[in-house]
Amino acid sequence: MVRRAALLALMCFAIAPVSHAQIKHIEMRVEGMT
Amino acid sequence: MKQHLGRQSGVQSVDVSLIDGKVEIVPKDNGRIDPRQLLKAVYDSGVSVAEMDVTAQGKIRSVASGNLVLDVSPNQSFAIASNEFSKELEPLADSPTGVSVRGQLYRKSGGKKKPKLDPSVPLTLLVLEIQKKE
Repeated sequence: MVRRAALLALMCFAIAPVSHAQIKHIEMRVEGMT
Repeated sequence: MKQHLGRQSGVQSVDVSLIDGKVEIVPKDNGRIDPRQLLKAVYDSGVSVAEMDVTAQGKIRSVASGNLVLDVSPNQSFAIASNEFSKELEPLADSPTGVSVRGQLYRKSGGKKKPKLDPSVPLTLLVLEIQKKE
């Protein structure tokens, strides 16, 4: 049980930085749109 | 233009406001979106981009020149332009602390000419707001 929890915690630690780092939103102001 | 942008990889939704000339793009969760491709897609549809702002999460890294970059994914980073906010980010360089920032990634320099979007040159992010440090 402890081993499984430790493994889960390790996996979360390894995945978290990748899943958190990203572009969340983009906004553009454009010209010449009709 | 909406269809053009919607077809780009990593794009979840596109919202176009004709009244104020704004285009909002929401990327897919954990999807990789390339701002250069979006700029190109807009220009290809016959419209020019005056400004592009992004909100991004990532980690601050210092490079050999002493400048900072924001790593948003293993293969995607933006050079950070020097201003009051970049100074605030300096202590976080090469630390495990993640940041969420809003900044300007592109601004039209004048004329209707299509910008040069060299993939080997990282886009420069002018940080306008530091939203979160974690």
